[in-house]
Amino acid sequence: MLRGAEIFLQCLRAEGVELVFGYPGGAIMPLYDALEGSGIRHVLTRHEQGAVFAAEGHARATGQVGVAIATSGPGATNLVTGIADAKMDSVPLVCITGQVRSALIGTDAFQETDVFGLTLSLTKWSRLVRSIEEIPAVIAEGFYWARESRPGPVVIDIPTDFLKAKMEFSGPAKFTPKPRPSDAVAEAKFADDVIGLLQKAQRPVALIGAGAKLSGAIPELRQLLDSLNIPAFATVHGLGAVIPSAPYYLGMVGMHGTRAANMALHENDLLLIFGARLDDRVTGDPTRFAPNSKIVHFEIDPAQLDRVRQCELSVLGDLAQTIPAFHKKIKSAKLPDWSDWRAVACGEDRAELDPRGLAQPTIRFLDELFSRLPENSVVLADVGQHQMWAAQRYRSASPRGFITSGGLGAMGFALPAAVGVQLSKPDTTVVCVSGDGGFQMNIQELATVRRLNLPIKMVIVDNKYLGMVRQWQQLFYQRNYAETDLSDNPDFVEIAKAYRINAERLSEDAMEEFPVGQETADALEQFLKSPDPELLVFDCAPEANVYPMVPAGAALSEMLFEED
Amino acid sequence: MNAFHIEYRNTQGTLMRILTAVSRRGIEVPYMHAAAANHGHRADLLLNVNAKQIGQLCRDWYAIVDVTDVRVGTPTPEMMEAAAGFAGPHPPASASAGGRSANAAMA
Repeated sequence: MLRGAEIFLQCLRAEGVELVFGYPGGAIMPLYDALEGSGIRHVLTRHEQGAVFAAEGHARATGQVGVAIATSGPGATNLVTGIADAKMDSVPLVCITGQVRSALIGTDAFQETDVFGLTLSLTKWSRLVRSIEEIPAVIAEGFYWARESRPGPVVIDIPTDFLKAKMEFSGPAKFTPKPRPSDAVAEAKFADDVIGLLQKAQRPVALIGAGAKLSGAIPELRQLLDSLNIPAFATVHGLGAVIPSAPYYLGMVGMHGTRAANMALHENDLLLIFGARLDDRVTGDPTRFAPNSKIVHFEIDPAQLDRVRQCELSVLGDLAQTIPAFHKKIKSAKLPDWSDWRAVACGEDRAELDPRGLAQPTIRFLDELFSRLPENSVVLADVGQHQMWAAQRYRSASPRGFITSGGLGAMGFALPAAVGVQLSKPDTTVVCVSGDGGFQMNIQELATVRRLNLPIKMVIVDNKYLGMVRQWQQLFYQRNYAETDLSDNPDFVEIAKAYRINAERLSEDAMEEFPVGQETADALEQFLKSPDPELLVFDCAPEANVYPMVPAGAALSEMLFEED
Repeated sequence: MNAFHIEYRNTQGTLMRILTAVSRRGIEVPYMHAAAANHGHRADLLLNVNAKQIGQLCRDWYAIVDVTDVRVGTPTPEMMEAAAGFAGPHPPASASAGGRSANAAMA
């Protein structure tokens, strides 16, 4: 006879789980009591939101399912932002929440919340466990749905009495889904149809999203793009999918995308989309998005097709299958010569950033920092101006090398997510870029970094404002800087030192020389090579802005490069 | 008005997921009926939606793991009759019998 908690952990092990993140409490205590000897490493964060973001970091860096554990009531509600984040960014995540005793459910017992109900619209699948006997089947099915097709978050809510109860355990369960009669897959002839559209196109382009990376078909995608040799660009989650030095690659597209990418997306007459859901930050005004384009959408999630614009052709299926099938046909197809279009789209006059943007000290700082990173480093960005600067300057061919909360835009994501990444990739250089606002949203995770001595290289771009909101206030609200002033920030260097973490400050004056002087260069080298956690606070001009910028509601071609 | 017929496996929360796809868009539900049908369950909904919302809802519903089929059809007379009495959203009316229901709820 085994306790429910022991059965639960054995089932997790059977799903390949070796690392979980969590925070204990009353209803989940039996699971914690059984952890020792289970073969599962538990990492204690200092807040449940830290746990779920760390689990996301692990999942995003490795492709494995991330697991976060919390107790009932406030423990469970503190997971909600991370669950929403995983839904938006297609992250395989299983959240395990303790629940009050089954007999007390529905009585407003101490620390009781309806976590099943409140996460229904945020989860791909969820279950309130109703008996100890259900545990193996629920875990098997939950992990299946977290991983399957378009990955996403799953919640398993388990009453504490089922964790304490005992039963004979015959082993973990396996889940086999029942096929749906109308499950659609791309028809074999789709490749001929796409080639037919390409043969008629004069200005074709390719948009690469997260789905291309999640499919694992990056080598095949790169071969396909080389064969097509058409202008290509990526969403923020598609960064790293295309080799940045490819002559047809135009960088990031969208609200803060490059001029070249946004113009090509606006001007094309055939848009091939590979695993992107056309978020409003990518399309600008949807009614003026790609106005002359026919769209071919390669996508695994039927909910994303025709959502923003009716496609000429939808290729529904796993990109790991549809891309190679398409490439096979492309090799023998006769395609038009698009060199004139390529010359326009990739031309010098559409340089990646306006020269005034390149002179920004923060841009220079990030260029200096990123140019010193070893290959296969992982860069995490929090949410705000620094996130967009980092995305603009990120130049790596590592598909899982740039991690950020792109869809939900959850401030406070990066530091705990970096914990998950560093634990999953102990020999990798992990750089966490945050703003002064976001860093304070999960600053308590410095304690986790210290306890585990994780050599994360933390950067705070400190402009003493909620910078992106302030930028919008400047440009669209007549400089009414309502409640965005953070000039009374604490001294981050002293705070880090209180956590026994090395910390230094770097003035933006150090970026006046380009390339930087020897002293600054040495400091950056030392920062990255340290075997310990390090914090670097970069003092940024309070009113620095991110450009280019497509104002909300404008077309992609209507970029701002400075304040009017 | 459009009628929607959604077949699903009656697992925990599936009907709620079907309905939240509607409620998150602020769409009223003049008629809704769910019951066992064929080898699973079926929800019939009558909604006043535009062509774009029809597409979005159908794809959202189909993305729910336990939904097995989604169809759009013509409203039945029963649906239209039920919808005719629907005058839009309103707060719960007080019970005429001395507010017993309200008192019970407050207790």
